[in-house]
Amino acid sequence: MNTLKINGSERQFPDGTPGTLADLLKKLNVKAETVVAEIDGQIIERDRFSATKLTEGQKIELVRFVPGG
Amino acid sequence: MPDINKKLKQATVAIAGLGGLGSTVAMALARANIGRLIIADFDKVEISNLNRQQYFLDQVGQEKVAALTANLLRINPELKITGYQQKLTEENIPKLFADADVIAECFDKADQKQMIVQTVLAKMEKAVIVSASGLAGYGSSNQILTRRISKRLILVGDNQSGIDTGLPLTAPRVWIAASQQANAIIEILIDEIIK
Repeated sequence: MNTLKINGSERQFPDGTPGTLADLLKKLNVKAETVVAEIDGQIIERDRFSATKLTEGQKIELVRFVPGG
Repeated sequence: MPDINKKLKQATVAIAGLGGLGSTVAMALARANIGRLIIADFDKVEISNLNRQQYFLDQVGQEKVAALTANLLRINPELKITGYQQKLTEENIPKLFADADVIAECFDKADQKQMIVQTVLAKMEKAVIVSASGLAGYGSSNQILTRRISKRLILVGDNQSGIDTGLPLTAPRVWIAASQQANAIIEILIDEIIK
């Protein structure tokens, strides 16, 4: 099983859980500079995305911002 | 109603960015008789702002902080306002907004929204941030939602309608998002923050 809970929904990764948060964003095709990430309730700053390893079962909140205000 | 006015009177709300969202959040909170606003923007009022922002034609060219302060005080002369006519950064946000119970993220650019939300969550201890993403275009009023992402982050918007997709910004839809931001701010101040 390679499962992460992303924004409330379980998501399977048949080829293996993405190694890092940066890998996950790449897989989801979202730009890091528009994303705020929390893992298990803890904020992860953008400069640590590629150093942040993901493990099975983590709860990940990704907030992606679009422009306009 | 129990002490709602008294609670709001004790509250301090910071507003980052004084465009369509920020100037409208400020108007709503001033009319709701909030105690103090901290408002920040580096820009001047432009004629193109008047389609959705809370300024007047004779204010074009004025600094936004000064123009909005004047407009807010015409509504509510008791309102305390601290204004910063400058660009907000990762470094200065924790200092300038240190007194804020709640921070309204009202920027235009996606990377700036990211910057302030990350800064508030990582570098500040208590303040709740109410951010907005996805409010361009027209119609679909009910696609704009208020969601509690986590204890200190509330997100308003439909999460997808950005101006990067070519959609225009229209006053009613921007105001729906801004009003949801102001409404969420009032709710959290009354129910959770001000004892």
